[in-house]
Amino acid sequence: MSTRALRISHVGLRGVVGNGLTATHVLDFASAFGTFLDLPASRAPVVVGRDPRLSGLMLREGVVSALLATGHNVVDLGLVSTPVIQHAITRLGAPGGISIGASHNDAHWNALKFFGREAAYLSTTQATELLDIYHLRNFRFVPYNQLGALSADSTSIGAYLSSLAGAFDFDRLRRFRVVVDCCNGTSSLLLQRMNEEYGFSFILINAATDGGQFAHSPATNSRTVALQLAPLIQPLNAQAGFLFDVDSDRVALATDRGDPVSEELVFPLIADHVLPKSEGRTVITNLSTTALIDEVVARHSGRLLRAPVGRQAAIDALSAFRPGQVAMAGEGTGAIMFARFPYIYDGIVSMLTILEMLAERGQPLSAILATYPRFSMLKGEVPLATTRIPALLMSLQEQFSGGIADTSDGLRIDWPPTETAPQRWFHVRVAQTEPIVRVICEQRGAPPYALHDALMDHVRSFS
Amino acid sequence: MSVREHKLKVGVSGVRGVVGEFFTPALTAALSQAFGTYVGRGRVVVGRDTRPSGEMILHSVRCGLLAAGCEVIDTGILPTPTIQVYIAATKANGGIAITASHNPPEYNALKFFNGQGLFCNTYERGELIDLWHQSDFHHAHNADMRRVVTELNVPKRIHFERVLSHVDVERIRRRRFRVALDAVNGAGSLLSVEFLREHLNCELHAIAVDPTKPFPRVAEPRPDTLGDLQALVRETGCDIGFAQDPDGDRLAVCDETGNVLDNDDVLALAIDACLSRLPGDVVVNLTTSSVIDDIAARHGRRVFRTPVGEANVVERMQSVQAVIGGEGSNGGIIFPAVQYCRDSYNGMAFLLDLMAATGQSVTQLAARLPRYTRRLGSVAYQHGRLAALMQSVEDAFTAPAVDRTDGLKLIWPGRWIHVRSSNTEPILRFAVESTTEREADEMFQRVKEFAL
Repeated sequence: MSTRALRISHVGLRGVVGNGLTATHVLDFASAFGTFLDLPASRAPVVVGRDPRLSGLMLREGVVSALLATGHNVVDLGLVSTPVIQHAITRLGAPGGISIGASHNDAHWNALKFFGREAAYLSTTQATELLDIYHLRNFRFVPYNQLGALSADSTSIGAYLSSLAGAFDFDRLRRFRVVVDCCNGTSSLLLQRMNEEYGFSFILINAATDGGQFAHSPATNSRTVALQLAPLIQPLNAQAGFLFDVDSDRVALATDRGDPVSEELVFPLIADHVLPKSEGRTVITNLSTTALIDEVVARHSGRLLRAPVGRQAAIDALSAFRPGQVAMAGEGTGAIMFARFPYIYDGIVSMLTILEMLAERGQPLSAILATYPRFSMLKGEVPLATTRIPALLMSLQEQFSGGIADTSDGLRIDWPPTETAPQRWFHVRVAQTEPIVRVICEQRGAPPYALHDALMDHVRSFS
Repeated sequence: MSVREHKLKVGVSGVRGVVGEFFTPALTAALSQAFGTYVGRGRVVVGRDTRPSGEMILHSVRCGLLAAGCEVIDTGILPTPTIQVYIAATKANGGIAITASHNPPEYNALKFFNGQGLFCNTYERGELIDLWHQSDFHHAHNADMRRVVTELNVPKRIHFERVLSHVDVERIRRRRFRVALDAVNGAGSLLSVEFLREHLNCELHAIAVDPTKPFPRVAEPRPDTLGDLQALVRETGCDIGFAQDPDGDRLAVCDETGNVLDNDDVLALAIDACLSRLPGDVVVNLTTSSVIDDIAARHGRRVFRTPVGEANVVERMQSVQAVIGGEGSNGGIIFPAVQYCRDSYNGMAFLLDLMAATGQSVTQLAARLPRYTRRLGSVAYQHGRLAALMQSVEDAFTAPAVDRTDGLKLIWPGRWIHVRSSNTEPILRFAVESTTEREADEMFQRVKEFAL
């Protein structure tokens, strides 16, 4: 079994179904979650939903059985996006929920994501406890006469959409002509209903949700936008194009001119619109996200906090603030969270926010993007034995001196602009899912080729 | 020595356990994935009885089967014989019944059927359990993962058609029998009402026919647990009363006076009804009453005896091409023209058919049977104890015929002694039968002294 086929970590269970992720993993992990969650006095059900992957049927059966066996009532929302599951957890006062789906991964992957009360992602301490229960296999199975019961709820998408209708001015947004690449995911179900019930005119491609395979990789980046979505924008005379991952928590976009937008620009774009209207001033992102976000946040007198890469670090960073202090959180993957929907990364909300911005500015998307200063990012990766990593990081820090170093996740060094050199930075870190060193560097203006080559050579000298 | 309680039992008919601590979703999913691996990536039928744990176990079974790449045909709540008939009729790869049959409600079990709707035989079971122990599973990938299909109404239609094609339905309908039913709120609840009321035009007086409610009595339909049915028969003046177990394979019968018939006599009446229509031989287990031999002799037919256990009876029935068979003590009638399985619906149909054909009441029909007295006992199992018991019983009683295929059976004209170990529980069972009550008591007393 390759090391990439199964990953059990603080963010849950993820793997290639059949090769790494099996029914046994699903049952044991869901049994651990059922044990971890207190049985609520209200007997409010644990919420379960899934994305269209065929293997999701198998995972759903295991999840339902394990939750019933640990005494929880279960409500199955069926085929829904992760944000809809989170919305239902809050609406139903549920003790938690499980989202079955591997979001931006290819069709042969699947995963379980866990949520607690108020639809919050588990904190690191909670996730650690869950993992301990999983590893101990000491599950709280209840006697036969205290087992939970299963029910189905087909109203969750409708309830979610009416919440969105309360948060956005649908009358103003529905006039936009927008093409959406659903990547055969759950966004298709939501957007079709927005067309039917709220009069939107989304033009959907890759909208089938049969789950056997996807038309293309559902990763939210400019490369996947360029495949099918971007070339359709001008022929269809659309004002923007959006691409969602399979469980609709992430978004990528194309401009009115049919250009794929760099995934790095999505978060600064949205922050530029949201931050002036926000009560909170803090914006949370990770160490690998573009320096453009620093400029945008500074422009609106906000405060930027850079956490280590990964959802868990963002969640932990978020939990250190009072509600109201944080304006938003996001990163260069198109996963963005808003203060008014705390803890929910929601691609649909991101899209509606961008449409709201277009409506308010009265400018095309391409024109708004042209107002931002240019930053150029280069990325590389090198497989490396994990034993060599500490030495590599120490050596890098000696070699590349003179900047401001941050060692909270690998090594990041920032060089502020000087009279002779533009602002630039690099971040060298180890991927969470595999023994690969990722190198990212960025410079204001032209791409930092020399810096990138020097970093890659240095890293390769350790491989 | 006290009897050790077996909270998990990997046995002849499947895997059974106490829900919660032992019978967990991971266990049942792994067994199901092993089964899916064994029968191959085709259609697998799944059904269950009405136990509260049924839904939880059902989802783990569906999970394991999907993981193995099977298409799951979920038939909902159904009697085990209906599931078996449906597997055979639709040429599925196999099936799983989620039921602990007559065991108390805290138990549940998986019963595995091959593509003919038969309990997996010894060799099939051995391979399945090996796959399970080795975790040697097929793991389907996303693109070849199949779905769950729900099929709620077709199975019972096929089952009823088959059962009713072997009796004179019109003759039964014309009699408009008054029938009492106790379905123990089990899988037969809704089906039995439809079967008796709609198909056989009975005036039905039913209790415990709500599949959403718990079992109102001990799940096994024994004379000492059927007080409510007996009272119902007397109050409503019914011609006959039927009681099922939770998965509808076992049948107990109550006559019009409220007296619960001996199960061996019920089997004898069913065999009598069957042999009047269909000529052929009979197979029963070693512990079943000699009344069967007498009834078969009336029709000029042979009786073959097998070790105790439905699978054993079925295997012999297939090899000798028997037309009917069963096991007396646990109320199982096996009629292969419908399906090789214990089926309470065949029993109900045959008894009503016999009543309609003869115009006699149940007491009159039972009175025509030769009278035997049986005494049954059991004692906690100790290893090595059975052999010693067999030897001392054999030394103490000199019998003209001895059968050692399942413990020891000593046979004289008109009487026998049988000592054996249970297939499902750690106990030794002993049984005696004689034409006279005095002799039966005497033999029983002596065997008991050896056993205790």
